Amino acid sequence: MIAIEKLSHAYGKRTTLVDVDASIDAGEKIVLLGSNGCGKTTLLKILTGLLEPGGGHVLYDGHQVSPAALRDKTVRRRFRREVGLLFQNPEAMLFNPTVRDEIAFGPRQHDLPDADDRARHWAAQVGVEDLLDHAPYTLSAGQKQLVCLAALLALSPRLLLLDEPTAALDPRSTGWLVDFLQDLPQTLVVATHNLSLATELGERCLVLGEDHTLLHDGDVASLREDTEVLYRANLVHTHRHRHGDQEHRHYHTHDWS
Amino acid sequence: MKDRLLLLVYLVLVVTATLVHDARLLLAGALTVTATEFGRRPQSWVRALRAALPFLVAINLGFLIVSKGDLSAAGRVLPLVNARLFFLVVLVFRILPAIDLQRALGFSPTLRFVLILATSQVLAFRRLFGDFEQALAARTTRRPGLRTSLRQGAALGAFFLRRAEHDATEITQALTARGFFLDRD
Amino acid sequence: MHIPDGFLGPQTYGPAYGVAGVLWAVGLRRLRRTLDPAAVPRLAVATAASFALMLVTVPLPGGTTVHVTGIGMIAVLFGVWHGFLALSLVYLLQALMFGDGGVTALPVMALTAGLGGTAAAVAVHRACGRWPRPAVFLAGWCGTVVPAVLVAFVLGAQPLLAHDAEGTPLFFPFGWAVTVPAVVLPHLLVGVADGVLAVLAWRALAPGEDAP
Repeated sequence: MIAIEKLSHAYGKRTTLVDVDASIDAGEKIVLLGSNGCGKTTLLKILTGLLEPGGGHVLYDGHQVSPAALRDKTVRRRFRREVGLLFQNPEAMLFNPTVRDEIAFGPRQHDLPDADDRARHWAAQVGVEDLLDHAPYTLSAGQKQLVCLAALLALSPRLLLLDEPTAALDPRSTGWLVDFLQDLPQTLVVATHNLSLATELGERCLVLGEDHTLLHDGDVASLREDTEVLYRANLVHTHRHRHGDQEHRHYHTHDWS
Repeated sequence: MKDRLLLLVYLVLVVTATLVHDARLLLAGALTVTATEFGRRPQSWVRALRAALPFLVAINLGFLIVSKGDLSAAGRVLPLVNARLFFLVVLVFRILPAIDLQRALGFSPTLRFVLILATSQVLAFRRLFGDFEQALAARTTRRPGLRTSLRQGAALGAFFLRRAEHDATEITQALTARGFFLDRD
Repeated sequence: MHIPDGFLGPQTYGPAYGVAGVLWAVGLRRLRRTLDPAAVPRLAVATAASFALMLVTVPLPGGTTVHVTGIGMIAVLFGVWHGFLALSLVYLLQALMFGDGGVTALPVMALTAGLGGTAAAVAVHRACGRWPRPAVFLAGWCGTVVPAVLVAFVLGAQPLLAHDAEGTPLFFPFGWAVTVPAVVLPHLLVGVADGVLAVLAWRALAPGEDAP
């Protein structure tokens, strides 16, 4: 479905991605792991055709993905229908007067006849059906995120890219989201720096290192064993432990955020 | 529709208030508007008075000083100016909270769209501003001096301007991804 | 500096709405037709940024604090046209959402601060382009002082424009002899705060450079 070949990117002098190669098959649920600033968001935005790759390229069903390639109207219509990106900051995505209009926006944009039914359906699916007539900007951060998710799903996309989707969620909502995403038929790429979330969510995981290269591409279990990669990717940490008057340190994967 | 009608009523009343030059009529208007707060305590009076007070004081005191205490001139000028200002502030507190601005200004989709984005950003920035102020309060023991205030102000200014640049890019990308520019050539 | 309702007569806000209305309509049209997808988001964030900048206060000698206007910073960063629309939106939101400042004063504020202030700021910033730091300072200063002068002029004209048969003023009762010193003098000082703030903010904004 997606082929990433020798992909590089930089914002001016600041490197964000170096020679990334990977491919994603339809139906896969992939976790994209990496510490802050390693290029996760950039990669997702390139996959969505929002940023021009600096080097290499991305193919979607064999077609080039880039802002230039998406200038063609037919290609763009199809691509925007099939690929959705949940932004890390949901506020950037919300611009309609009500939650109902927000979720129905995509379907209306694509002239689907059942836009309002889709809005109701997906609002109920993510649990915001009581907020349909509220203005999105009045909601809490977590609710905004759910509304954005519903807005993306209302188009029944093939590929869903999620950028730190649990950042604004409390533990209960995070648990709910993990189950919800597992049950979706869509191909998923979920970016996070939370290793424990990766264990819950994905079968396969891609790890971006602090040097912006791809450090690991494989199943989550083998990654957990590979302490060296985890440490290089800044996904684990060490700190002091005191047990009585004994003191020692060891690697941790727990998530304090 | 309700919002647009209310906004229209508000605007008509404001214009009317600037065409009526009788202090008694304007005060009666303020009373009437307050009386429409059926069953509730008439809060608009109190809130209006509180909001208008600085202006009322400045105008009245200023006039007495400038006219060197000429009470007959004050008697001719001030009642009207005070009554008008007060009536208009009562209107603000009585009518505006009932209006959903986005709905009322929905006649232009572009305007509504800009307004929603702007409102959402304004609310976010206001929240952040509160954080900055609390952070400063938590880190200082005295009222900050000029130097600290200027540094803090500059940090705030730079933060909001940088944040604005960043958010503009982010919003444009989000709109693109959501198909906002689907039919653009 | 936002003028409340009741100080300006229809002789003032009528024509002001006429002029500002045309400019707003042109602005909305340009927004709708522009090929730059970032135009609307930039306007929205410029609005939010100028709203936020107006919240910033600086203490004056004597124990009071004043709000800066941030108009110069917005003008230099976003340009006259976006600055005008953004400040108009700020005054609209302040008047209708927060009940701060009047709807009759809205077009006057949009023209004096939104257009006059930003245009003056951009003009001096360009004129002094060779000396980046003074240019930013002067832009900040002019963005505050020019609107103050214009507002003082409009307010002080009220007794002349609107009075009854005996010459008693119907709206704002003071002439220029009062408004010019009362409005302009404090803003000469606020302008300094705005200018200093602008210089410091640019320094923080672009490390190693003095201007954007």
